[in-house]
Amino acid sequence: MLIGAVLSGLIFGLYFTLVGLGLNLVFGVMRIVNLAHGDFLMLGAFAAFWAFHLFGLHPLVAAAAVLVVFVVIGLPLYYLVVPRLQQARDAEMLSIILFFGLAQMIEAATTIAFGTSERSIPGRVLGTGPVMLLGQRLPSAWVFGAAVSAVAVAGVYLYLYQTRLGRLTRAVMVSRDEALATGIDVHRVSAIAFGIGIGLAGIAGVFAPFMLGSVTPAIGPEINVAAFAVIVVGTLGNPLGTVLGGIVYGVSLMLMQTYLSSWANLLPNLLLIAVLLTRPEGLLGRKVRRA
Amino acid sequence: MLRRALICLFALLPFAAARADSGPAPAEIKIGHLHASSGAYASISMPVYTALKMWVDQTNASGGAFVKAYNKKIPLKLISYDDQSSTATAATLYNQLITQDKVDMLVSDSGSVLTSVAVPIAKEHKMFLFDPTGTGAPFFVDNPYIALIADPVSTIWPKYIADFLNDDGVKAGIKRVAILYSTNDFTGTQANAVRGFIKNAGKLDIVYDQGVPTNTSNYTVLINNIAAANPDAVITLGYTGNDIAFLRNLQDSGQKFRFLFSIYPGIETATLLKNVGADGLNGLFTYVTSAAYEYKPEVGMNLEQFREAFEKVGPASGVEFGFNAIAGYTVALVLQETLAHADALDQESLKKAVFGLSGKLKTLDGTFELDEHGAQIGEITPLGQIHKDGKNVKLTVVYPHELATGQADLSGK
Repeated sequence: MLIGAVLSGLIFGLYFTLVGLGLNLVFGVMRIVNLAHGDFLMLGAFAAFWAFHLFGLHPLVAAAAVLVVFVVIGLPLYYLVVPRLQQARDAEMLSIILFFGLAQMIEAATTIAFGTSERSIPGRVLGTGPVMLLGQRLPSAWVFGAAVSAVAVAGVYLYLYQTRLGRLTRAVMVSRDEALATGIDVHRVSAIAFGIGIGLAGIAGVFAPFMLGSVTPAIGPEINVAAFAVIVVGTLGNPLGTVLGGIVYGVSLMLMQTYLSSWANLLPNLLLIAVLLTRPEGLLGRKVRRA
Repeated sequence: MLRRALICLFALLPFAAARADSGPAPAEIKIGHLHASSGAYASISMPVYTALKMWVDQTNASGGAFVKAYNKKIPLKLISYDDQSSTATAATLYNQLITQDKVDMLVSDSGSVLTSVAVPIAKEHKMFLFDPTGTGAPFFVDNPYIALIADPVSTIWPKYIADFLNDDGVKAGIKRVAILYSTNDFTGTQANAVRGFIKNAGKLDIVYDQGVPTNTSNYTVLINNIAAANPDAVITLGYTGNDIAFLRNLQDSGQKFRFLFSIYPGIETATLLKNVGADGLNGLFTYVTSAAYEYKPEVGMNLEQFREAFEKVGPASGVEFGFNAIAGYTVALVLQETLAHADALDQESLKKAVFGLSGKLKTLDGTFELDEHGAQIGEITPLGQIHKDGKNVKLTVVYPHELATGQADLSGK
C-alpha cells in the first residue's frame, strides 16, 4: 500500500504542478494573486468538454487550442486590469479582492450558460485499461496528465532560461523597478507572462475531467486552495519550485488517503500552516525564489 | 324575540370564533425556500427548486392553492434564496426567511448538509420545517418541528443492501465486505446503519471500513487499498460527484468486485450515464427510486406526466430530470395537501395537517408515511441492479423479493 500511495502521489502531484504553475508565474512576475485561477482552469475543462462532445476533438488537440485561446484572452485582460491595480499602494491585497470578484462572475456566467451538472470526458479517450508501474495499477489518464504537466514545466523552463523574453521575465521577477529603470518594457513582459499563466490554467483544466472525475462550474475555489498549497510549499514566486510543491502535495494526499482518509481534506491547510510556520520562504528558499 | 335572537347568536358563535382565529385571508401564501445554484450541492438542489417553482407557477396559473382555513384558493409566493452550497450563507438566509420575510411555510435546501443548519434554526423559531431530502438521523431526535418529505431517513435506506448481502449474498458465497463512505450526515448515517445491520446478522466480515471527505475527487489509491483487502462486496456511499469519480477511477484501474453498490446511479441516472457511460454502470447495484419504479399516485401527476412537464422547464435552466426533480414535486404535493387540510396557517396546525397525511398520501414517490418523529418511512428504496442496454441502461429490482423484477447477477462483470 505504501509503494502504491507514493507512486500515485508522484503522478497525481505532477498534475497539481501544472495546476499551480500558472498561478505561481503570475505571482512571481506581477506580485498579484490571481484568485480567478481555478475558474480559468474550470473554463479550460468546459472548453475541452465541448470540443470533445461537439467536434470529437482529442484532449491533446484541445489543450493546444486552449493554450492559444487563453493566452490571447489573457493579454487584453492584463492591460484592462493589472496596470491600474499596480498603481495602488497595496496591489497584492487589492488583487485578491478584484480577482475574487472576477472568479465569482466567471462561475456565475458558466452556471447560467451550462447549468450545475457534472461534466466529464470518457476516460478511454486517453487510453483503455490501467498502466502497470512497479507492480502498481495507475489510470492511463493520470499518466497522460502527468506527462503533459512535465512538458509544460519543461516549456516554462525553456521559456524562462533559453529565450530573450524569458530572461526579461526573470529580470522583472527579481525587481520590477530595476527592470523598468533599465528600459525593459515591463508591461509587455508581464502581459505575456499573465497570458501564459492563464493558458497553463486552461491546459490543466483540459485534463481536470480525467484527474478529478468530473467538473462543475463550482470547482474553482477548491482548485485555488490546492494550487496555493502547492506553490507556497514549493516557494511562492518561483515557478519551477512548483514541481516540488506539487509532488509534496500529491504524495502527502495519497498517504493521507491511505492511512488517515477521513482527514485528507485538511491536507492543503496543514501543509500551508506547516510551511508558513517553519519555512515561510518555501522549501526551495529565497535564493531560488529570486530567480 | 330576545330569546330567539340569543339562540341565533349562540348558534353563530363558533363560526365567528373560527373566523376570528383565522383572521382575514392573506393575499398570498409565502413559501420560504433555499436553493444552491452553484457549489457542491447544486446538482441535487436545483432539480428540487425547479420542480417546486414549476408547481408554484402552475398552481398560480389556476388561481392559487386551495386553503382549507379560508375555504378559498390563494396565490402562492415562492421566496427562494441562493445559498451557493454554503452552510454559513444558508444559516443567514434561513433566519431571514423566518424573521424578515415571515414566510408561512419553510422548505429547507436539499441534502443533509444544507438541511443541517436549517434544523436548529427552525426549531428555535418553532417553525415547522418541510425537509425535502435531508435524511440525517440526528435531525429527528428531540425535534417536534420537522418532517422528512421525499426520501426515507438514512437509517433505513441501506436496510435492503444489508438484507440482500446477508441473505442472497451469503448463499452466493459472499463473505467479505468493504465500506467506503463520505463523511457527512447523509452517507455517514447510512454507513453506520449498514455496518450495524451487517454486524448484527454476523454472517459477513467487514474487511475495509473507511470514511473520506465529501469533496474527495480521486479514488485510485483508495480503490487499490480496497482491492488489497480482497472483499467480495464493496459498498460506496457518496454524493453524485463522489460516485462519478469513484466509478471512473474504478474503470480506469481495471479492478472488479463481485458486488458493487453505489447510491447515485439509481438517483441521478442520466447524469451518471453521461459521465460514467453504460459500460461503467453495467452490473452495478444501486437504490431504485421513484425515477425508475412507477408508483400509482392518487394525488398529482404520474411519473411520465411529470417527466414530460419537467422536461419543458428543467433543461432550459440546465437541470436534468432525475429523482431530485421528483423529490421537489413531492414536496410541492405535500405543501398543497397540507394547505388543503390544515385548519389554520399557524405552525402547529400545519404540523398536524402534515402528520395527518401520513400513510394516506400516495404520490409518484410512493406512500408518504412518517414515524412519530417526522422521519420518512414510507417511500422505500429497494435494491436494484443496472444492466447495459445498448448505449443506455435499465434498472432491475432485485430485492426485496416481493418487489423484484429480475434476478441479481453476482458475477462481477
